[in-house]
Amino acid sequence: MLEYDILIVGAGGAGLYAALWASQNPNLKVGVMTKVYPVRSHTGAAEGGINAALANVAEDSPEKHAFDTVKGSDYLADQDAVEIMTKMGPEIIYDIEHRGVPFSRLPDGRIAQRPFGGASFPRTCYAADRTGLVILHTLYDQTLKQGVEFLNEWFLLNVIHNGERVLGVTAWDIRNGGVHFIKAKAVILATGGHARMYWNRTSNALGNTGDGTAAVFRAGLPLKDMEFVQFHPTGLRKTGILITEGARGEGGYLINKDGERFMKKYAPEKMELAPRDIVARSIEREILEGRGCGENGDYICLDLRHLGEKKLMERLPQTVEHARVYEGVDPVKEPIPIRPTAHYSMGGIDTDKYGQTEIKGLYAAGEAACISVHGANRLGGNSLLDILVFGKITAEHAAEYVVGVEHLPTEGGEYVKREEEFISSLMDKEPKEKLADLRREMGDVMASKVGIFREEKPMVEALEQIRELKERAKSGLAVTDRSKRFNLNLIQTLEFLNLLDLAEVTALCAIERKESRGAHYRLDYPNRDDENYLKHSIVRRREDGTLQHGWKEVVITKWQPQERKY
Amino acid sequence: MTVERAVLRVYRYNPERDEKPYYREYEVPVDKAQTLLDALFYIQENLDPTLGFRFFCRAAVCGSCAVKVNGISRLACKTPFKNLVERANGKPITVEPLNFLKPIKDLVVDHDQPFESLKKLQTWCEPKEPIPEKEYRIPPEEVKQYERPTNCILCFACYGSCEAVMDDPKYAGPYAFSRVYRYVLDSRVKEEHKREMVKNAMDVGDIWSCVQCQKCIYVCPKGVRPAEDIQNVRGIAAEYGFKDYPGVKKLQHFVDWIYATGQINRLSLPEEVYGVDPTPLINKFKERGAEVWEVPKPLPGLLEFRDLYLEVMKEKKPHLDIDFHHVRKIDKRVEEVFNADVCTKITERFEEQREDFFTRFWKKLSEFFGTK
Repeated sequence: MLEYDILIVGAGGAGLYAALWASQNPNLKVGVMTKVYPVRSHTGAAEGGINAALANVAEDSPEKHAFDTVKGSDYLADQDAVEIMTKMGPEIIYDIEHRGVPFSRLPDGRIAQRPFGGASFPRTCYAADRTGLVILHTLYDQTLKQGVEFLNEWFLLNVIHNGERVLGVTAWDIRNGGVHFIKAKAVILATGGHARMYWNRTSNALGNTGDGTAAVFRAGLPLKDMEFVQFHPTGLRKTGILITEGARGEGGYLINKDGERFMKKYAPEKMELAPRDIVARSIEREILEGRGCGENGDYICLDLRHLGEKKLMERLPQTVEHARVYEGVDPVKEPIPIRPTAHYSMGGIDTDKYGQTEIKGLYAAGEAACISVHGANRLGGNSLLDILVFGKITAEHAAEYVVGVEHLPTEGGEYVKREEEFISSLMDKEPKEKLADLRREMGDVMASKVGIFREEKPMVEALEQIRELKERAKSGLAVTDRSKRFNLNLIQTLEFLNLLDLAEVTALCAIERKESRGAHYRLDYPNRDDENYLKHSIVRRREDGTLQHGWKEVVITKWQPQERKY
Repeated sequence: MTVERAVLRVYRYNPERDEKPYYREYEVPVDKAQTLLDALFYIQENLDPTLGFRFFCRAAVCGSCAVKVNGISRLACKTPFKNLVERANGKPITVEPLNFLKPIKDLVVDHDQPFESLKKLQTWCEPKEPIPEKEYRIPPEEVKQYERPTNCILCFACYGSCEAVMDDPKYAGPYAFSRVYRYVLDSRVKEEHKREMVKNAMDVGDIWSCVQCQKCIYVCPKGVRPAEDIQNVRGIAAEYGFKDYPGVKKLQHFVDWIYATGQINRLSLPEEVYGVDPTPLINKFKERGAEVWEVPKPLPGLLEFRDLYLEVMKEKKPHLDIDFHHVRKIDKRVEEVFNADVCTKITERFEEQREDFFTRFWKKLSEFFGTK
């Protein structure tokens, strides 16, 4: 049986950084489990940058950064957690800089910073438009140096706890097949987000299926603020693949079919650099009101031509490549067709400001967690900071915790048996449904009814439809590939079941929140309602499988809610 | 209207139940797939759910999906399907796993070993002391130098195409040396660790096995140029004074003889590099009446410039460590054979143009060695 003091699930930025800090203590046995290889993780797709108040370009402070974050969150973020994050920002940047992250530089050799949506100062440190990639790879190199132990290509099945303490996890060894119980005194879930529930309309990797979040949910623990899913304004029209906010940061224009820079109507001051929720809604509105581009009027143009080829190739090389490969458009000569794409899960596993859940030894960090530092809307450049800050905090907290406790006496046989029975049941079923169809339906329902613009009736329908999909999956979705080795059919089915669970929670929370805040915009309740909804929504699953919805207070320290204008 | 269909001939092998690999053909409607990865999904969703392949980001940044398409390593997610179909011209498109890696299932191969190589080469940052309170100051030009190698996504397309890997199982692979180069260029990294990485590249990674076929450059989906990085790391190894490697000796021979005579000495090369006595070979040539040039004749005009070259080399790059001793020995032989005065003085004419000449010469040299 595999046994660790600390098991980290997920090897993106949060997982790797947690591993580096957890393994500072050489006496601790630390393992990192990932369903891919570490450098495949979705952190690598983060393009634009990472925020920290270094004040290298303009006067700035962690406090200003905190205010921008709180305002950007539409006051739903917990302000104590935000203050921790922004205060730690500079030291985190310096730490990863010392570890070798190749940041872009100012002429005097200091780290360059650029403007980003919702920020009052140029605060976003970057490495061209592949900031996440170089951070992920640099951290991976560091874990090699530190000799961190990896379980590559292992899939998380469930989190095991006794109501008080975590015991470990059950997992499927993808390469060889087979269920294992992995014993751990502490488990840090750094499993990423779940925006894949919008299936074809997302910037996320195919594997961003909220596996950790869904496992926690099945374990009877609360999820928080699940209605908040950020739509990134600029996804490529055909695939949803992301065009970085950096493209607008560098001066790109958003243009409708009349050639108008329409953001002047919606955010006259910040224009294209208003926060993501506002820009995404503005684009969607232009499309809905018939000012979209192209034959079907179903997209908007991101015009970068005036930046010139040299600047484009220097600052936004990946953007140029993406547009060429996935849209067949050369941004040097033509505008890029874009439309908003589901991008980031603000909601997730409910934790306190140290990333702790209700269960001792069980932590969550990064996009899987809802701490919450992003509230109702995350600012661009804050997610890379979030994963590092809370990767470190959870690791240090866990490292301290495990020293004082013993492993619980269990061999895990019963958990393994339960998983094996479940997997057999999936394989023994008579196949009546096709995974690809169900998945597409889920995505379509979520995108059309629980997407950028929301309203009671369609959302109630969506919830019904998701529940029907769950029923159909239960009775007719079978795993037809019965082999053990690298069984994609099994993994994709499990991922889909995770997404379905989370989609149901998302739809329910969206219905319950009868106001508009941040990324959650309701046509039937267009205003923010602080009196009734300045609260986190909390959902947990009862033993009988039904959902229990409730609320939790938001922590406010310095900044009283005010109207959010840009 | 009939939809155009393309045939994919896909390598299948599940060691769990197949005795040996086989190929299966699948028909994919061309309009259902924008990329090769989409085509694989089409097969998996509609024709055969047991097909094994890797994927994750589907946006050419995670490096999961490299496979071999009609013999060439490519990222499936970055390969436009239509182009493949057009080029195939009605013939099946063959999709296979990357070469040289242990098979797991179908298109999935074991990536453990190439990742393990990075660990062996120790390609990471050991920060130089003292570690600053804030960031290290790094000129933007330096960051630009390692921009290309830091584009690497470790997809191992280069590894699967590498001629050196085919011949030398110990050879770490092109991607690994781009990683070495990236950290060696980084002024934040401790000098001792840079030496360590370069030494590892030779001792553990067999960097001298590269035959410079340039395939890695051709197949890289991210525009990294590993073959060039390899040349640069080799140059740095010479600069660091690692002399006991055939590759370094060869480089030294090139430098010495070209500076002394304008060309390499094919007869003494085996001796200088591998310690092979050339006499039998020379005798054999002589026996058969072939003219043997034990010392290549210097190009006309070369010797006039030569001292200047050497002086510049020493002045601007003392650690380049030209073996003057050796060069002078060559000189002597040249003198003997050609009865010429090879120790030319710098003429007044050159004295006047010295600065200009230095600048141009230095630029050429730094291009050759790829360092600043």
